[in-house]
Formats: sequence, C-alpha cells, structure tokens
Amino acid sequence: MTLRRPLKYWAILKTQLLNSLAYPADLASRSLTIALFMWMFVQLWRATYRSAGQETIAGLTLRDTLWYLMMAETIVLSKPRLSRTIAEAVKNGEIAYLLNRPYSFLLYQASVGVGDSLLRLALNALTGGALVWATVGPPPDPRGWLLVLPAVALAWTIDFCIAAMIGLIAFVTEETVAFEWIYGKLMLILGGVLIPLDFFPAWLRSIALAMPFACAIYGPARLFVEPDPARLLSLLMIQGIWVMALGLLLTALYRRGVAWLTINGG
Amino acid sequence: MQTVHVRGLRKTFITRRKAPGLRGSLRALLRPERQTVEAVQDISFDVGEGEVLGFIGPNGAGKSTTIKILTGILHPTEGQAEVLGFVPWRQRRQLAYHIGTVFGQRPQLWYHLPAMDTFYLFGKVYELDDRTIRQRIAFLAEAFEIQDLLETPVRKLSLGQRMRCEVAASLLHRPRLILLDEPSIGLDVVAKQCIRDTVRHLNELEGVSVLLTSHDAGDIEALCRRVIILNHGRIVYQDEVSALKRRYLTSKLVEVKYAEEVATDFRVEGAETLKVGRYGVKLRFDARETPAGAVMARLAEAGDLVDVTISDPSLEEVIRAIYGKKP
Amino acid sequence: MRRELTFLLALWKANLLAAMEYRVAFISQVVGMMLNNAVYFLFWVLFFDRFQQVRGWGLNEMLILFGVVAAGFGLGVYLFGNALTLADVISGGRLDYYLSLPRPVLLHALASRSIVSGLGDAAYGLISFALAGHYTPDAVGRFALGALLSATIFLSFLVLTQSLAFYLGNATQLSAQATQAIIAFSLYPITLFDGTAKLLLFTVLPAAFMGAVPAEFVREFTWSTLAQLLTAALAFLSLALTVFHRGLRRYESGSAIQVEV
Repeated sequence: MTLRRPLKYWAILKTQLLNSLAYPADLASRSLTIALFMWMFVQLWRATYRSAGQETIAGLTLRDTLWYLMMAETIVLSKPRLSRTIAEAVKNGEIAYLLNRPYSFLLYQASVGVGDSLLRLALNALTGGALVWATVGPPPDPRGWLLVLPAVALAWTIDFCIAAMIGLIAFVTEETVAFEWIYGKLMLILGGVLIPLDFFPAWLRSIALAMPFACAIYGPARLFVEPDPARLLSLLMIQGIWVMALGLLLTALYRRGVAWLTINGG
Repeated sequence: MQTVHVRGLRKTFITRRKAPGLRGSLRALLRPERQTVEAVQDISFDVGEGEVLGFIGPNGAGKSTTIKILTGILHPTEGQAEVLGFVPWRQRRQLAYHIGTVFGQRPQLWYHLPAMDTFYLFGKVYELDDRTIRQRIAFLAEAFEIQDLLETPVRKLSLGQRMRCEVAASLLHRPRLILLDEPSIGLDVVAKQCIRDTVRHLNELEGVSVLLTSHDAGDIEALCRRVIILNHGRIVYQDEVSALKRRYLTSKLVEVKYAEEVATDFRVEGAETLKVGRYGVKLRFDARETPAGAVMARLAEAGDLVDVTISDPSLEEVIRAIYGKKP
Repeated sequence: MRRELTFLLALWKANLLAAMEYRVAFISQVVGMMLNNAVYFLFWVLFFDRFQQVRGWGLNEMLILFGVVAAGFGLGVYLFGNALTLADVISGGRLDYYLSLPRPVLLHALASRSIVSGLGDAAYGLISFALAGHYTPDAVGRFALGALLSATIFLSFLVLTQSLAFYLGNATQLSAQATQAIIAFSLYPITLFDGTAKLLLFTVLPAAFMGAVPAEFVREFTWSTLAQLLTAALAFLSLALTVFHRGLRRYESGSAIQVEV
C-alpha cells in the first residue's frame, strides 16, 4: 500500500521522459546553447590563463576550470524550470483543481520537471563535454562522473525548493517574473556558474559559501573536477541540511497558500 | 457599381505533406511530397451596394480563402475580382482604406485599454484628423449606444458589449464594405440577438455593404437577403434566404429511442425517415406542414418512448439535403 | 514618411497606456531587469578585480560595452517588441490582420508589441555608460548614436532570422537560438576571438556591430568606425527588408505555410 504512493510519481516522471523524446529537434537545438557558452568560455579563459602567465590560478588549471564550468553550466541549463509553471497554476486558479487530485501538487510538479529534464541533462553533458574534451582533453578524473550524480540530484532538489517558493509568491503578487530573473542571476554569480568561487576575493567567497546557491552549483562542479569520497560526503551533508531547511520552508508556505485558497476561493 | 464583383475565381494551393515524427520531417526535407489543394474552384458572384450577403459553408469549403482574396491578402490562381473598383491583390493598400473587418475570434480592440483608446489608434491607422475622429466616435457611440462603455477597459466588458464596440470601431473610417467573420461565435442567445441588431443597424445607418460569414444559420436568417453556400470550393447554392428558408430551415430533426426493437420500415405520417437503428429512429419533418405536436403524438403511439431529441438541421444537413450528397 | 511617424507615435502611445494599466507589473519589470543586468555584470566586476584585463579589455571597456548594447537593445525591444516574436506572428497567420490595414505591414507588426522590461535594459545601459565616466557632450552624443545603430543592426538581424518562418513554417526555436547567440557574443570582448570566429561575428552573426564597434565608437571618434557602423546598419537593414518582403510575397501567394481553407 505505502509503496504505491512514490511509485505514481515515478510513473509520472517516466511519462514525461517519454514525452520529451517526441521532439528531438527541439532537444537538439537547445544543446546548442551550452555549446555556445562553453566555446565562449574556452576563448575567455584560455586568454586569461595565457596573460596571467601561470599554469594554475587558485589551484585550478585551465583544464580544471573549463571542466568545472562545463559541469556548472550543465546543471544550470538542464534543470527543470518550474517557477513559471507553478506561478501560472496559482495565478489562473488551476491549482485549486489540482488540489483535488490524489497526489501532491508539489511532488507532481517535481516529477514532471525531472522527467522532462533528464534527457536535456544527458544531451547537455554530452555536447558540452565533447566540446571541452576537444579543446583541453579529458576531465581531470573519470570518477568525477559517478560521484557527481548524487550531488546533482540534491542540487536540483535545492533549486526546486527555491524555484517553487518563487512560484508560490504568485499567491501574494501577480508579478513573479522579476524574482525569477534575480534568482537566476544570483545563482549565476554566487553559485559560481560563470566563475569558480575559488577565484573570488576571500570575503565574498565566505558569503557565497554560506548560501544554498554554492552547494547547488559550485559544490558538485568543484567535486567533479577533484573527486574525492570525503569531499562528496561533506557536500552531501551540507546539501542535505539545505534541502531540509528549504523543504520545510516550502511546505510551510505551500500549506499557508493552500489554506488561504480554500478559505478565499480561487 | 457593384461593391464586389467576382468572376471565375480559382485558388490552388500546393502544400507539402509531412508524415509525423522525425523520420517524416527528414523525408519531407529531402523528398517533399507535394499535394495540390483546390481551395476555390470557379467562384462567381456579386455583392450590391448596401447589400448584406451571407456566406456560409462547412470548414474547408473555401470561405476563408475567398475572403482573403477579396481583401487582397491572397493572390488567386485564376479569375477576376473587383472590390469597390480595386483589384484587391494589386491595390491592397488603397482598398484597405475603404474596407473594414470584424473577426469574431480575433478581436481588434486592445484588451487592456478602454475602447476609446483603440478608436483613436484606428483613427491614426486610417489617417483621420483629430476632429474627424472625435466626430465619428461621438456619432458611432450614440448610434450603437456604447457611450457608457467607451471609457471602460475592454477586458471588463461582457462579450456582447465587446462585439458592439468592435463593430462600431470597424466603422470609424467610413468603409463601404465590411467583412464580418463569425461575429456571434461563442455568444449566448441574448448577446447573439444584440449583435444581429447591431449589424442590421450598421447596414441601415450608412448603407455599408456587408459580407457575413457564419456557421450560425440564425445569423444569416436574421440579416441577409441573399446567401451563398460554399462547399468543396464551389458555390452550391446562391439565392435569396427566403427561398432557402422555404425549403430547408423550417424542417426539424427528431431522434427517438424506444424500449423495444424498431421495425426496419418504420415510418410515421408527415415525417421523413432518415435513419433506422435497432432501438431508435431519426426523422425529419417540415414544421409548417405538419405541426410538431402531431408528429410527437404519432411517435408516442408507435411504441414505448424512452428518449426524444428535437433539433434544427445542421448546416451540413442542409447542404447534404440540397444536393443529396455527403459533404 | 510623416504619416508613418504619426502612426508609430500613436501605436507607441497605445502600448504605453496598456502597460500603465498594470502599475505594479510595469515597475517590477523595469526595476527587475535593471537588477537582473546589474547582478550579471558583477561577473565582470569580479573577473577584472582578479585579472585586471584580458586582451586589452578592462572594466571600463565592459561598462561602455554593456552601456551601449543594453541601451540599444532595451529601446529596440521596447519600441519594436514583436521583433522577438515575428516568427510566431508569421506562423500563426497573424500577418493577415496587418495586411488588411493601410499601413506598412512590417512596421505595424513590429511596433504592435512592447516589451516593458526593455526600459529597464535601457535605463541600465545609461547607468552603465555613466559609470564609465565619459561625460563630454560628444561622448554622450556618440553613445546615443552608437546605441541607435546597435539597435538597428540587432533589430535587422532579428527580422532576418524570424523571416525564416515564411520558408520553414516553424522558425521559433531556430530564431530563438540565433537571438540568444547574438546577444551573448555582443557582450563579450571581441579581442577574445580570432580568425574564422571573428569573421563570423562581423558577417553572419553581426554581434561585433551590435557591441564591439559601437563601443569602440563611443570610446573614441574615428571616421573609420563611424563609416563601418553606418555601412553595416544600412546593409543589414536593407537585407532584412528585402528578405521580409520577399517572404511576404510568398505568403500572399499562399505557398508559404499552413493553409487554412
């Protein structure tokens, strides 16, 4: 009896995954984005390392940096985009109908999102990886591919919690777009998507590391470049703490929103 | 001069057929399969000055294509057409100053603004000076009784009120021909009546010719003296509405279900049997020749009635009946 | 010409009025976009804080670059918002509406939509330029001209790629990728690219004319840069108009896309 509950989300996920196969042209063209960005990064960082005249900067070689960026971009570009979907569902009242269904609205959105994004994740990793490999050679340590997987899973979970909360802001105001933009950019900077946190000035690095963005992006990407079981474990612990904190906050906000909805109507 | 003059109009499309899926897309790219669609085949008709002409036909009949050719949006494969003395596809822009369009499904009034603001914009679109715009708005507001509605954002108006404003807006630049496409679609009975009155008023007000396309036979009946029925790109009927009414629009369809099985040669006096099923029958009768009550009484006598549905014949049925073939 | 200007002004006014109906949305989009751009620019602040310069480009150059691109882009999408969605307008048969009216189809279609966040981009561009510290009147004049020409080239490029919809039926994904690419490249130091890449950025994907060359023009006046910019703007504009109207003729003959009979 209790096993059937999580199984239904797995079914939803699988359906969405199959659905994403229906438009291969769409999928392929979206991986052009990561190819574009990685290529630009190659130009930028090659020139930077050359003019700095050093092999390593802050302990990272050019090869490390580029593989780091590739993993960071892959995580960010492939992740499910749920703020919009959730915000729309709240704004047009659809959420009221979905509350009657025998599944949790949030878990449903998460399953749909992940199912939709898995293929994108694979394609982005392939495309981005191929490009970087062609320019600087193979990643520093093949174990990275394996160790990074659980970290990416938790990273997406953290992102989901924040994105969902932003979507739920729609209960309060119609205009959630601005929040989505800013969250995205904060993720880019403080998460270390465009520039590894190792290159940050010390004071900013400590601030960044204290935020969830860093353990969602910097953590896994850095781990990928220097895989180490101990490192993975400590990252998973930090991620776990953030997942719990954000998850609790999300559930509380969601319950509040739903309560308001059932009292006030759609 | 006729407002619209069409002779031997013909439009053939060459479309590329594409099978679904990735393989289909690739194949279509390398070896496209061409398919010829004869959207309009040899259409000829006229619209007189100040006339309201109905233009009906099922989907795929060629209505939209003909309208697009008349507005100059599409070039015909063959044939001639003249609208207000202009050849539409050669003088599209000049013609545009003198015609107006109202699409039931594609509103022109800006959703978030009061109708007044769109009126002013239209004025600029048609290059009217400010004084003319003001005069026209005042005139049309009174004529269509929308004075109180003009300052309200369009999104707050009811569908019927919105359509009244749409029709009024289409007259701002004093066009001599208006193309009305499905003006009453999605409206309830009261709103439909309101629109019909509005259109009749617009025609009477300034003698504007109207070409009305609609799926709703009621619209046609209420507004048009003549009607053209299109099917498969050809005109299958062109005559006065009164003639059409006399022949077909007064017939009713009845579907009944009985508790026991029905004889295969089931018939009832005063009605024409269309279809006989195992437990049910579909009949048609002319309400003026045989009163509905009499037909119902005879049907009730014929067996143990379980279910009854009475409806008007659909346009498809009318067309089918007109020429005895399937649409 | 004057008639079209009056018409455009009326259209822009209607768009502004419609946007102002939703004050909160208006403000949040403008301010939100400014913040959005500012946070993104932090990347370059951090980068140059660490590395001072890369191939001759430093923070000041980036400020000017972002200034001119954001200002041009912002104004462009605010006044001609449908440039980003022209492919959808074409595929959706919505050109019919503009064709039934006595105004130039492309102009009418492009200006019928207004992207409010563009004002945020434009404001950000002005601030970015101001922070670069070039306050002489001719520098400001060059900034205005540079932004204008950058916008012209960007909008022309958009019209070009979106017009593919006349030929492909569905060009939304493709043109979206092209748009993303030109914006991304225009905001990067051009000196990072050599050879073929650089050639591409001056021709097929004119990001150089959208960013680097106008920025150069703002930094220092030379007849050469001005000539380059004007030529590029004229060339891309004429190309865009030609391709669009060629496609429109195709559309009018009915051989373009899905046919609704």
